[in-house]
Amino acid sequence: MSAILLAVVVVLPVLGGALLPLLPFQSRRQRQVYIEGVVLVTSVLALLLLFHRPEERIVIFRFTSNLTLSLKLDGLGTVFVGIIAVLWPLATLYAFEYMEQEEHEVTFFLFYTVTYGVTMGIALAEDVVTMYCFYEMLTLVTLPLVMHTLTREAILASRTYLYYSLGGAAFAFMGVIFILIYGTTADFVPGGVLDLVKIGDRKNLLLLIYVFCFFGFSVKSAMFPFSGWLPKAGVAPTPVTALLHAVAVVKAGAFTTMRITYYSFGAQFLCGTWAQTVVLIPVIVTIVYGCSRAVKETHLKRRLAWSTVGNLSYILFGTALMTPSGLVGALSHMVFHALMKICMFFCAGAVISRSGREYIWQLDGLGRRMPKVFAACTVCGLALMGVPGLCGFISKWNLVKAAIESRNLLGYVGIAALMASALLTAIYMLTVSVHAFFPAKDSGSGSTERVSVTPAGAGHATPVPYDQVHDPGWRMLLPIGIFVVAMIAFGLHPQPLIDELTRLVDVIH
Amino acid sequence: MIGLSILLPVVAGVFLLLSAGRDAGGDERKESLHALHVQTGLVLLLTGALALYTAWNGADTCTWFELMRRIPVYFHIDDVSRLFVTVVSVTWVLVGFYSFVYMSHEGKERRFFGFYLIVYGVLIALCFAGNLVTLYLFYELMTLTSMPMVLHNGSREAILAALKYLFYSMCGAYLGLFGIFFLYRFCDTLTFTAGGTLNPELAMENQTILMIAVFAMLIGFGAKAGMFPMHAWLPTAHPVAPSPASAVMSGIIVKAGVLAIIRVVYFVVGPDFIRGTWVQTAWMSLALLTVFMGSMLAFWEPVFKKRLAYSTVSQVSYILFGLSVLSETAMEGALLHVVFHAFIKSALFLTAGVFLYQAGKTRVEQLRGIGRQMPVTLWCFTFASLALIGIPPASGFISKWYLAEGALEGDIGVFGWAGPAVLLLSALLTAGYLLPLVTNGFFPKAGLVEAEMAEHIDGAETGTEQVGDPSALMLVPLAVLAALALLLGIFPNPLIRFVSGIAAVVL
Amino acid sequence: MEVVRNFPFLSIIMALFSGPLCSVLGRQAAKWVNTAVISLIGVMSFAVLLFTVRTGDFYVYQMGHFPAPWGNEIRFGQLEAWMALFFCVIMLLCMLSGRRELARETEPTKQNLYYAMVGLLLSSLLALIYTNDMFTAYVFVEINTISACGLIMIRENGRTLEAAMRYMIMSLLGSGLLLMGLCFLYDLTGHLLMSNIRESVTALAASGEYHVPLLVAICLMSVGIAIKSALFPFHAWLPDAYGYSTLSSSAILSSLVSKGYIFLLVKIFYRVIGFDVVRESKVVNVLFIFGILGMILGSVFAIQEDNVRRMIAYSSVAQIGYIYMGFGLGTAAGMIASLYHILSHAATKSLLFVAASGLTDVSDERTDFLGLTGAGYRNKLAGLAFTVGSLSMVGIPAFSGFISKLLFAQAAYETRHKMLLALVALAISTILNAVYFMKTVIRLYTPGWRAGLTVAQAKITVKDQPLKSAMLVCFIMLNLFLGLCSEPLVRLMIEGLERFA
Repeated sequence: MSAILLAVVVVLPVLGGALLPLLPFQSRRQRQVYIEGVVLVTSVLALLLLFHRPEERIVIFRFTSNLTLSLKLDGLGTVFVGIIAVLWPLATLYAFEYMEQEEHEVTFFLFYTVTYGVTMGIALAEDVVTMYCFYEMLTLVTLPLVMHTLTREAILASRTYLYYSLGGAAFAFMGVIFILIYGTTADFVPGGVLDLVKIGDRKNLLLLIYVFCFFGFSVKSAMFPFSGWLPKAGVAPTPVTALLHAVAVVKAGAFTTMRITYYSFGAQFLCGTWAQTVVLIPVIVTIVYGCSRAVKETHLKRRLAWSTVGNLSYILFGTALMTPSGLVGALSHMVFHALMKICMFFCAGAVISRSGREYIWQLDGLGRRMPKVFAACTVCGLALMGVPGLCGFISKWNLVKAAIESRNLLGYVGIAALMASALLTAIYMLTVSVHAFFPAKDSGSGSTERVSVTPAGAGHATPVPYDQVHDPGWRMLLPIGIFVVAMIAFGLHPQPLIDELTRLVDVIH
Repeated sequence: MIGLSILLPVVAGVFLLLSAGRDAGGDERKESLHALHVQTGLVLLLTGALALYTAWNGADTCTWFELMRRIPVYFHIDDVSRLFVTVVSVTWVLVGFYSFVYMSHEGKERRFFGFYLIVYGVLIALCFAGNLVTLYLFYELMTLTSMPMVLHNGSREAILAALKYLFYSMCGAYLGLFGIFFLYRFCDTLTFTAGGTLNPELAMENQTILMIAVFAMLIGFGAKAGMFPMHAWLPTAHPVAPSPASAVMSGIIVKAGVLAIIRVVYFVVGPDFIRGTWVQTAWMSLALLTVFMGSMLAFWEPVFKKRLAYSTVSQVSYILFGLSVLSETAMEGALLHVVFHAFIKSALFLTAGVFLYQAGKTRVEQLRGIGRQMPVTLWCFTFASLALIGIPPASGFISKWYLAEGALEGDIGVFGWAGPAVLLLSALLTAGYLLPLVTNGFFPKAGLVEAEMAEHIDGAETGTEQVGDPSALMLVPLAVLAALALLLGIFPNPLIRFVSGIAAVVL
Repeated sequence: MEVVRNFPFLSIIMALFSGPLCSVLGRQAAKWVNTAVISLIGVMSFAVLLFTVRTGDFYVYQMGHFPAPWGNEIRFGQLEAWMALFFCVIMLLCMLSGRRELARETEPTKQNLYYAMVGLLLSSLLALIYTNDMFTAYVFVEINTISACGLIMIRENGRTLEAAMRYMIMSLLGSGLLLMGLCFLYDLTGHLLMSNIRESVTALAASGEYHVPLLVAICLMSVGIAIKSALFPFHAWLPDAYGYSTLSSSAILSSLVSKGYIFLLVKIFYRVIGFDVVRESKVVNVLFIFGILGMILGSVFAIQEDNVRRMIAYSSVAQIGYIYMGFGLGTAAGMIASLYHILSHAATKSLLFVAASGLTDVSDERTDFLGLTGAGYRNKLAGLAFTVGSLSMVGIPAFSGFISKLLFAQAAYETRHKMLLALVALAISTILNAVYFMKTVIRLYTPGWRAGLTVAQAKITVKDQPLKSAMLVCFIMLNLFLGLCSEPLVRLMIEGLERFA
């Protein structure tokens, strides 16, 4: 019974989304209720699954006798399912209010809902082939969302996104087939499935394939030098950037690297080899690179996107440490970063949609007009910096703990990179708050004139006069508020979650 | 009690901030300001009393909650806490009263006092912190909440200065955090224990990385204390901040860096681990370099508050030097200097504030003949200066004596004589950059006419007809601080006893 | 069931004679005769397939029951039957979808000729599939060339004439080499019948005599067929030939003609020479290298191309590179992957050509990218079909391209030295495929008014072109079938290949 539930949470949103243009809705409100209904039901079922933890698997489709699309819930999947099941309904709620200003709502929500199912598929995939299939599908169903505005920029961005993603998948594919051939099974087994007898003396080859595979999957999580697509994809509507490019898609990239590392190739086997070094170096570089680019960027959403690049590499860093505690760190950052970044993007979306201002320097004094949003924004900023008492600190702490325990020299370098990145985060996040709350005097308190002088290329949004800017409605504020509370709660009392993650990961060794 | 003394000012401050939008104009403004002053003053006094009471009588320990397993937010009161919390409270309350008047010309009082109270609470928590993570938590909070005090006037320079302050502090804090991670791994516990908690076996195995970590922490926390190479924020942040803010930043907040270093070196790592290693050598060299460099820069600096900022750079490194020697006497000197410098430097900045508030003078050469108009203020300045230079019987003499003696006694090779020599040189420079103000202030010579001309112009600009000593509310805190600076030098014995108690425990 | 054994021969003959018949019939009649013949042959091939699969054996059909030196032999097993069936299906779909274009683009008087050529082409393809005689194979290779030229030239504009010329020259060069190789082989063995040659060659290889002549023969035949099937450095004729001829020609040429030759090469490798001998001769390594070059460079050319049909044509160069890469791996698995790719490429490429023509229909016959802006909205089905074809080309799971990519990768892992090169080439070529195909797809769904372009406003719905739309749907189904139900097919091909030699 509960195994069928596995299939339901994948298929329901896909079908529900696909039916959207076919159903005759009388009003926008009806449609919204329908969408939220589909998403909520899926989430409830998914959360039910988490408590139920069915042991059995379910085969959706059989390509060939050894190539199946099959679903099963295990420890790692639980975390990812949990994240998206909680975030999706909230993000959908937010999207309703946001999308009222955009066109093609139906198409948007179609793909938005389908993406939910596909992401669930990645989380629940039982074997490497299933994961790969859903991974490719994820690229395709999110493409229309990136293209959504259909402006020149959006088209270019979607192209870049596609090339990077498909290219990454092409390399990841090598690893997938490798597992198929040299693994005892294609399923995910904690500790890896490699058949060392079959591999024999070709260990270096194996490592090389692993490196290819890691790089391939981490393209989705925007690892340097494959990070270019993410900031560009920021042209998508904010609910997309918030949920997909801060959580679902990019986390799917990180999640797949975890799967490959810990459940297919086997961390014990990889730990200490040159392959680990090769993957750690770009990860560490990305941590600093992403944050530095974020500091340089003055466009609010692109700045957040660069910040995502850096933060995702935290997760990859934990993954690439190839120890159980590294995975705990990575998972905790996966959860917490999801919270922080989605909230941050929601704030940014609220600011952009309500004030029409997209650049940091346009935000002068807006803290007065939108106090709630900017307060949330500041809390997110502090959390991202890793101020103790907020959740970012906890994950950072776990990551660094793992790095120190790994006794890997690059781990130490990574710690330094984390610290440098925290510093850069402080710069790029707090300048936003400073601009909003403490407008510089000589900029006219951000009141009227300055904002109307927008330089060329400042985006399509037209600034709303300062006095008319105000906090958004409850559908936007509610998710933001929930996330802020969650950030603080996890920051102050993370132990249950960390214990749970540790327990999940304990299986591996 | 610990919780209360921390939360009271924080909550009060948050309330003030939430009401900050309601700054009314005209008569209402005056009334509401008055109410604000009363409220703030009450909270300040109450908190001060609570904090002191807690420190000297209250519960020893208190755990709020577990941040993570084995990492509670934990407070513990020991003699170091007592010393620091006393200094903080006295200075904070006095400066607070001073700023009631002063802030009227800066505006946005609610915001200022809101943050002022919050920082006070955070500082108390910092002093009481019982383990390294708690310390770090409040250290970061202190940086964040004190930043709005720097950018208070909202000019572009102020905002840039605040960001610079933030950048340096965060940079330092993260270097510190870097070290904390390693200490967490290599120490039995992060709870402060006199003599250190380093796990000897693990430490021996990982000596190199641990040394690097400790050094990173020294540099990192040294950033707050204005130690070279991370000192540059001080001279930028101080001139743009309102004078009371500068006073407490220079007097108190830089001491938070000192406190953190004391906690790390003497209570977690243990002085024995770094004694005689390259870390100690580097630390001493940096401290001495900063002492000398700060004084030199102060000597050449024409802007008054900047000169005082450089002076802080130099003076706090006296303390760091004392700590780096790792001997009992030197540590006593360092702790004494913590106390004295807090009072002296606050007093000096308050006088600078008076000059600015009453006469709008910011540069040293404008201050010729100021003694005629503001004799009391200048006298306070004179006493404080004497104390800072270290002229007996003023307080600075005592601490410097101990510092020099500690250095000579200590087994630190060439630094044994180089240290005192630099200290002496720096004292001369201190005299060189402070005393001319006194002499020129009281006895203006050739430039008098010129100065008067300038003064008239300034007077016209600031709109103050009568330039004289300020009102009592400003003058009294200033006088008290100056008097403390002087009197503690004359009756130092209880303090010395207390301090040597601390030093005996940790070394 | 004995009658089924005659079907292969019958189908060749039927196709052959449908040609002359069509040339004398009226235009309409020829059209229907052609369709009927192709369908009938398809049905017959299906019967043969069922028969061979059921009996699990291969059969030799001696024409006129004359034994070897005099008679001519046909030999068929399930692989041959399946190929024949598949080729018929593709051809039928291509012919039906290209009817409108054919009527529009060619002179009415020449349309009979066109059907005649198609009949000849089909017969030659079937003969290449079924024959067990090298000389017969050669003869039908020539027939194939000539009829293909006819297909290219039927739309008489300058470029097709030039293209046909080029094709002719290249093809004849290839045929010449093939003939020379054949002569060598005949010289060495004294046989023309494949099975007989095989025996002699095995003996020769075992004894080590005539090592060099044998090698030369293998090389000549391989290179000859490589030229004819447009392996990378010999591809110059291809873009023009595919890009400018009429729709059904393009579709058939790209999906079938070169595949016939390739199947002949498989036959030569397996049945004539023996794969072990071929592998030892290292010819496969050369094919491997050129295959990989083709995979990469074909895609690079395609990326630079601004004309959508030429782009698809260049993509064929890349896909043929895949096939030769599979040969080059030198394993049975590689061979299976190549054979599967023949299927998947044939299905996908014809789909792409048909879909592209549907899209150009609504874009004022413009084939450049700007002209196609937003065409996916104007002809929804064609847009969808093009998207499916593109995704298949990129190798997205659920489409046929994924399976062949999978098979290639699996085959690559079984080799030792070529593994890494093959895998990296696969990955890179996937990326390149993604670049030009997905670029086109995104272009199709970019509304013109947003891009600031004035584009055609014509719209085509399913009702306007029922036949073509139906064919598009068939193509899509075929593609999905190949992508989703590949296992029985692969098993069929593996078994067929085992009985092939």
